[in-house]
Amino acid sequence: MTDERSTPVAGGVLVVGGGISGLTAALEAAEVGKDVFIIEKNPYLGGRVAQLNQYFPKLCPPSCGLEINFKRLKNNRRIRMYTLTEVKSVSGSAGNYQVTLETKPRFVNSNCTACGACAEACPEERANAFNLGMDKTKAIYKSHDMAFPMRYVIDADACTKCGKCIEACAYQAIEMDMAAKTFTLDVASIVWATGWNPYDATKMTNLKYGSSNAIITNMMMERLAAPGGPTDGKILRPGDNKEPASFAFVQCAGSRDENHLEYCSFICCMATLKQITYIREQYPEAPVTVFYIDLRSPGKYEKFREKLMADPKVTFIKGKVADIIAEADGGVTLVAENAVTGDKVRVKADLAVLATGMEPTAKSLGAQFGLSMDKSGFIIADEATAMFSAGCAKKAADVVTSTQNSTAAALKAIQASR
Amino acid sequence: MSVSMRVEPDLDFIKYLKSAGGDSVKKCYQCATCSVVCPLSADGKPFPRKEMIWAQWGLKDRLIADPDVLLCHQCGDCTANCPRGAKPGDVLGAIRAYAYTCYGFPQGLAKMCSSGKGLPMMILIPVVLIGVLFALANGGMHLPSVEEFKEVGFGHFFGHWDFFWLTKNVFFIDLIFVPAFLFAAFASFKGAKAMWDKMSESLGGNREFRPSVVQFVVEFLAPAVVETLQHKRFNQCGTNQNRVKGHLPLVLAFLALLFVTGYSFLSKDVVSLFVGEELRAYLHGPIPMANPVKLLANIGAIALIIGVGILWANRSQAEEEQGTTATFYDWFLIGEIMAVGITGLGAELIRLLGIPSLAYFLYFLHLVSIFMLFLYMPYTKFAHLVYRTVAMAFERYRQSAFVSPAVGGK
Repeated sequence: MTDERSTPVAGGVLVVGGGISGLTAALEAAEVGKDVFIIEKNPYLGGRVAQLNQYFPKLCPPSCGLEINFKRLKNNRRIRMYTLTEVKSVSGSAGNYQVTLETKPRFVNSNCTACGACAEACPEERANAFNLGMDKTKAIYKSHDMAFPMRYVIDADACTKCGKCIEACAYQAIEMDMAAKTFTLDVASIVWATGWNPYDATKMTNLKYGSSNAIITNMMMERLAAPGGPTDGKILRPGDNKEPASFAFVQCAGSRDENHLEYCSFICCMATLKQITYIREQYPEAPVTVFYIDLRSPGKYEKFREKLMADPKVTFIKGKVADIIAEADGGVTLVAENAVTGDKVRVKADLAVLATGMEPTAKSLGAQFGLSMDKSGFIIADEATAMFSAGCAKKAADVVTSTQNSTAAALKAIQASR
Repeated sequence: MSVSMRVEPDLDFIKYLKSAGGDSVKKCYQCATCSVVCPLSADGKPFPRKEMIWAQWGLKDRLIADPDVLLCHQCGDCTANCPRGAKPGDVLGAIRAYAYTCYGFPQGLAKMCSSGKGLPMMILIPVVLIGVLFALANGGMHLPSVEEFKEVGFGHFFGHWDFFWLTKNVFFIDLIFVPAFLFAAFASFKGAKAMWDKMSESLGGNREFRPSVVQFVVEFLAPAVVETLQHKRFNQCGTNQNRVKGHLPLVLAFLALLFVTGYSFLSKDVVSLFVGEELRAYLHGPIPMANPVKLLANIGAIALIIGVGILWANRSQAEEEQGTTATFYDWFLIGEIMAVGITGLGAELIRLLGIPSLAYFLYFLHLVSIFMLFLYMPYTKFAHLVYRTVAMAFERYRQSAFVSPAVGGK
């Protein structure tokens, strides 16, 4: 079994990122006998997938897929997992890397049963990052309902160390003196599965995100529709909790735009079509307008698109939204030119969803670890240095493609670690 | 859509666009962001998205008959927001350049003025014409003495004779510039007429009523001129808003200098014939500095140089920051007006310093640059003053009852 620092036999693999891609790469490598470390900067594994309401095109919840991976991980003694952990520095070369990591304190030890007594006692609140800031949790919180590991965590920025949670905890699980820990691992190869962040919607100044509560992003829509979301799965307009009578989707909000993300983010068209199914479930009659440049539903997704396009209450307009005007009634007016008819259109909607794209997380941190990246910030795998990329750290992709290329990255990491 | 259209792209036209600063046209993927961010675009059939695809398809006949191409003031908002770097503003500029050449009369001259290749010839024509007339009329490059120069200024540039009713200088100046001006005016009219006809034709349908000349002027042309002078549309621009600061003083300077030229013509060539000896000598010399008209002239000259200087700086900045393509079409007019301003003001300053040889040389260059401004007006970017005004008049015509009757229309 692996010890604190290195693997019993030389040639361990470090997987950076515990989302669906990192999990896949780590499990595939471990299940063929490699020793694997997997690190995750959040207090939980599952990454962006955990935040989704449903996958497309089968519309099953993310617990399907994540749970089985967690089970595989629990049962595999070759994998050592670190949450709240980030890479600080990388030195060495292929086959012999020394990676320095830092684990932030969770302040909650493994005695935690997630009973929730601490949160009830806690007087402080914090914006809930998991729900994209649309609601609040206590300063001691459970990341989400299917968090893995199922343990509470304290947000050090929100906590005042009043000690009420310690009194409330029946299991001596809370350790206020827990400190950040820096440690080093020896590994032969590294798989970067650092994933993506939703592109900052405030950067598209003409779409005026922030000027109205009626303008949300597609990831916010996922949380609004999800059972564990801020509205318990009911799609309501943030701010006034109004049931929207009409919806609009703004495709390519930042993607395929050299001023923002010059590439196609691949998932936004399908995400929008999927989100129309969320709307249909709750608002069968609400008119929905989708503004697009091209609708991209590659391969087998074509059928999904056809099904949604048959909905008579969904209007598809070829033309990118270039202006959004906040209205007094809380809704917004979206302005575009319909490139088919050649006339400007103004569509009023109670809720406008910006289909924002994927910005690779590595864009801002890749350079400090000597990763080779393309100009958009996607990591280019390099066999010579035994540095590989998986999932959306490699390219903008859906879950299926991510797990496929993660398996490929695992194979390459195994080969590089022999 | 059941209506099919056979697209026959004109490759030469696309090649021309690429050479004239519209090389980015192919990058456009028709997202239509431009039409929405454009502050000048209308709600019905907005531009420039449709122009971009017509340009990609090489549909030049549609483009040169499209008033929207000329209604564009190249604010740059479309270019700044374009997700593909297709620079619709630059493409429309290139289409305008093409349209001026297309409507230019005579075609040979218009083609010569359409690219940098024609520039040596464009300069050579007035240099030879004015140079030869100067040499012949002045009796072998005669330069005045410092005293004589102080008294008459450039009044004897083309020599002097004793015919009372028409001085030799005025005769030659008129001989050069009146035909050039009339020619340019005629060519502009012909071009504008051809454009109007094409635009009317593109509206389709039969119209029973046509506006009279008076109706045309009062209802369409005059409001367009007023709107131009107020710089109303320019002021709506976002990205290149600064150009108003250059263009407005430039336009006012042109108007001031037009007035000065008119005054000078009347006082020297007409009024002086009917006044006493002393006053005539006064009128025939250079206008004294204290004269308010001279003051206006000097202010005009300085405003001209400053105005075109600002446009120069803006253009350079746009090329550096927005990647706007440097084109002969844009730079010729900037350089040309700058040359007129610098040589004019320079000739005046050197005259006041009393150096006849240098002053004569600058004056010669001044005449050359003004001749170029006049003669090439209908074919270079300067033509926008005619074509854009006519297009703005056409826009009003298109919206008027002549085209869209309030009752029973469409």
